[in-house]
Amino acid sequence: MFEFNYIKANSLNDALKSVTEHPEAKLLAGGMTLIPTLKQRLAQPSHLIDIGGLQELTGIAVTGGELVVGAAAKHFDVATSAIVTQAIPALAALADKIGDPQVRNRGTLGGSVANNDPAADYPAAVLALDAVIVTNRREIKAADYFQGMFATALEDGEIILRLRFAIPRRAAYEKFAHPASGYAMAGVFVADMKDGVRVAVTGAASGVFRWTEAEQALAQKMSGEALDGLVVDLTNMNEDIHATREYRANLAKVMAKRAVQKLVSSTQH
Amino acid sequence: MTHDHAVNRREDLRLITGRGQYTADRVLPRQLYACFLRSDRAHAEITSIDVTAALGGPGVVAVLTGADAVAAGYTQFPNLMSFTGRTGASILKPDRPVLATDKVRYVGEAIAMVVAESAQAAQDALDAIVIEYRDLPAVVTAHDALDADAGQLHANVPGNLCFEWETGDSDAVHQAFAKAAHVTRLKVLTTRVAPSPMEPRACIVSYDAASDSYDIYTPSQGMVMLRRQFATLTGLPESKLRIHTYDVGGSFGQRSAVYPEHGTQMIAAKKLGRPVKWVSTRAEGFMSDAHGRGLEIAGELALDSNGKFLAARYDFLCDMGAYLTPTGSVSHLRNPATLMTGVYKIPALYGSFKVVLTNTVPIAAYRGAGRPDIAYAVERLVDRAADEMKIDRSEIRRRNFIPPDAFPYKTPTVGVYEPSDFAGCLDEALKVANWTGFEPRRAEAAKRGKLRGVGLSTIIEATGAGVFPKDQVAIEFDADGKIGVYTVSMSSGQGHETTFASVVADTLGVPFASVTLHECDPAKDLTGNHTGGSRSMAGAGSVCKLAAEKVIEHARPIAAEALELEPSQVDYAEGAFRSRDGEKSISLEELARRLAKRHPHPMNVVAEATVGSTWPNGCHVAEVEIDPETGVTRIAGYVAVDDCGVVINHQIVEGQVHGGVTQGAGQIFGEQVVYDPASGQLLTGSFSDYYMPRAGILRDIHVGDHPLPSKLNALGAKGVGESGCTASLPALANAMSDALRPAGIGHMDMPFTPSKVWHALQTAKSR
Repeated sequence: MFEFNYIKANSLNDALKSVTEHPEAKLLAGGMTLIPTLKQRLAQPSHLIDIGGLQELTGIAVTGGELVVGAAAKHFDVATSAIVTQAIPALAALADKIGDPQVRNRGTLGGSVANNDPAADYPAAVLALDAVIVTNRREIKAADYFQGMFATALEDGEIILRLRFAIPRRAAYEKFAHPASGYAMAGVFVADMKDGVRVAVTGAASGVFRWTEAEQALAQKMSGEALDGLVVDLTNMNEDIHATREYRANLAKVMAKRAVQKLVSSTQH
Repeated sequence: MTHDHAVNRREDLRLITGRGQYTADRVLPRQLYACFLRSDRAHAEITSIDVTAALGGPGVVAVLTGADAVAAGYTQFPNLMSFTGRTGASILKPDRPVLATDKVRYVGEAIAMVVAESAQAAQDALDAIVIEYRDLPAVVTAHDALDADAGQLHANVPGNLCFEWETGDSDAVHQAFAKAAHVTRLKVLTTRVAPSPMEPRACIVSYDAASDSYDIYTPSQGMVMLRRQFATLTGLPESKLRIHTYDVGGSFGQRSAVYPEHGTQMIAAKKLGRPVKWVSTRAEGFMSDAHGRGLEIAGELALDSNGKFLAARYDFLCDMGAYLTPTGSVSHLRNPATLMTGVYKIPALYGSFKVVLTNTVPIAAYRGAGRPDIAYAVERLVDRAADEMKIDRSEIRRRNFIPPDAFPYKTPTVGVYEPSDFAGCLDEALKVANWTGFEPRRAEAAKRGKLRGVGLSTIIEATGAGVFPKDQVAIEFDADGKIGVYTVSMSSGQGHETTFASVVADTLGVPFASVTLHECDPAKDLTGNHTGGSRSMAGAGSVCKLAAEKVIEHARPIAAEALELEPSQVDYAEGAFRSRDGEKSISLEELARRLAKRHPHPMNVVAEATVGSTWPNGCHVAEVEIDPETGVTRIAGYVAVDDCGVVINHQIVEGQVHGGVTQGAGQIFGEQVVYDPASGQLLTGSFSDYYMPRAGILRDIHVGDHPLPSKLNALGAKGVGESGCTASLPALANAMSDALRPAGIGHMDMPFTPSKVWHALQTAKSR
């Protein structure tokens, strides 16, 4: 780790001021990606501005028919929140399977979404649930927000305050954990929304994506068999020593089917 | 033994509540911190190295390079190979300066060491070292290294082949194959793995100018063997080297060796007159801690028409990495050679071995050290023969077991097996696993869309005979009459503090609490072997018993004097000497207390014995279930029945078997070091890419003891440290084969990763 200065922001304004003052600064929430990166000397920020405890980034509530979750909500908070469990149980279940207990008690929703690791779990839910990312400057629709591996619509000095999730009729998430790292090798969030079915896949490709063929098939018939004839496009699949493109595409399909089966058997709404 | 104290490990509370004392925890006054610059390429000439800028860095005290290594003469590592090769030639030992000089030969090889006032400062200065390389072609597999046009690692190792060896009777095997009714052939790989103990490597070296001697604080498997290696590397007398080892967080063979970092720190500590400390990062560990296994074994088995084994021959290709470690080459030859016959009576045997150097991390002994590899080859070959000849897999084994009346059994190669009950272990394991009731379970799984299989292995091991001819144990009494036991073996998780103390307490009939074990006290002048090769209980453990018995005989005349009796009139039982009539008695503790003012304490003893190889054996049965949609395998059942000789503490035996089987399962289902064949880069350099088994991989296991006491040591112990690894590799692979065979899949090598299994199923489906 290289040396850096630590700033504990006391308010959002305070944080924004620090960001402006220190162009080489990094925002720190749970630090579950940033701290290991620093330890490996892969980043050298001048300052860490800690926004993890900001009041403006906390809170979980259902408002106006949407589930609103503060960016600083830890995975453990989301997994165990009665409000989330009531409104979108699949989202709570997803949060409960991120990393390990240590990660779930440090890592945050906003941090995960801002980082946009191609194998993170949250992006699948955010995209499938047509969430809105609310920042200090604007509101960004999920469809516009994710821009490929570690790339997002966030601009310099822009801080995620909260996410607003549309509440689906039913939803489910299934993932295949990478045997070594535990990250999603393929994670599929299926949401049965009021205006249609949405299927988002994380882990398998360079970034989270919607599997539109599956959405159309499931709109016809919400059952695992509806996906039988479909093939996930291999073009953007990742390939490495652990899995071929073909295997990842297969996993995406199998996880999609399992998510659908889970969704169908769920009793929600 | 049924004493309460035998139940729980006494070291656990200390270790799991963070009170262990590991090398990284130690801080010596005025210590400096070292960091290593490591090669980022697999094979290259070093054309220039400039450390000027690094030397000028804040807090930097020194920068050492290969020139310092050569100046110190630290260029030859010890090698334990004790025999000559096919043509009578000794193994070719490449030079290995503790810091690379003109060439680097694997990614991770140490090139320079920065010593600074803080670890941070040392790390900062690494970036300022400027090195220019001229890249050379790299070879990362033994096969490629033997190619005529392969890059040459060392000038004195032509063709990268440093040793060729053979064992057995080639002619007899040839004749047996000629008349065989059936011949089964199978080539298997035991993949290269990274041992990855929980505690990273670490070392502090302190030099004392007045006595021109060194104190070396490092995790080890025992100070005597490591001290000998330090002496060989440095040319220093052993009397100038004191090894200090405290708690050790796992070892698996990897810590049996002296490493380049050790030697480099010695140079720096002497040069600077201050202690020099280094603690490895996990990333450094993957690229510089010795790797394990890495064998390719081609086996052939000749059978008569009844499935009786007539002969077997094996061809071994042993990847040793870029340099020879002290243990790797000898253990990967001698252990397979000793165990080539498995648990079977095979009249004719032959093995040939090639030891090859590649641009990879050097290989050393790793939990089993060649024993799991040969058991894997033999047991997979036997299973294949059973399948080809349509004989039940347990039946073909029964037909060929070495029969009970054949012991001691001299194998056609190099070993003499002690009495064993192979059929008894097999019967018990099959019964517990409900072997005969398997087919309905396969059918039930098939209804759920799963592929279920069952497999077994019947294995034997030769425990380490030891590098030193005898094992010594001292027992000393303190002022309170309490007992200290001193050994030079070293626990890295084996639970010696519990088991050795209980051996002494039980032999003396004294409370467990009054006995304390001290391992590797550098102030004690004891010799003996390190902990490795499953030998500590049979070796140091049995000498603990002899030492306790010696205490009784030693103290008897002293007690007689105290009781005013003739020694012959004094009996010892339950911790006390008594007169025959029971009128007079004195406890051992009281006797020891009375003599406490005398130095040395007159009841102190040193006992010793020569303890050679013992022969743990057993039968493991594994049941697996594969999800064909994802290729994921679940271990559905696991039964281990082991003859580890007399069991001192069943819980510790269980722990060893759990750990060994889990380690085996890790290798079978995912662990593998992968190098990029084009660049020689290490692709599995962190736990994000290197699979380690999680506790959940083995949810249920039955561990049964089937003890046949050994007559080769005073305790009757055979050993258990490695049998879990040795038996689980073939049992699990055979279960996988059984599950995959109905789908049309023949041989598959480890690791059975989800991706590989799924692809194999797709390929089979499309045929």
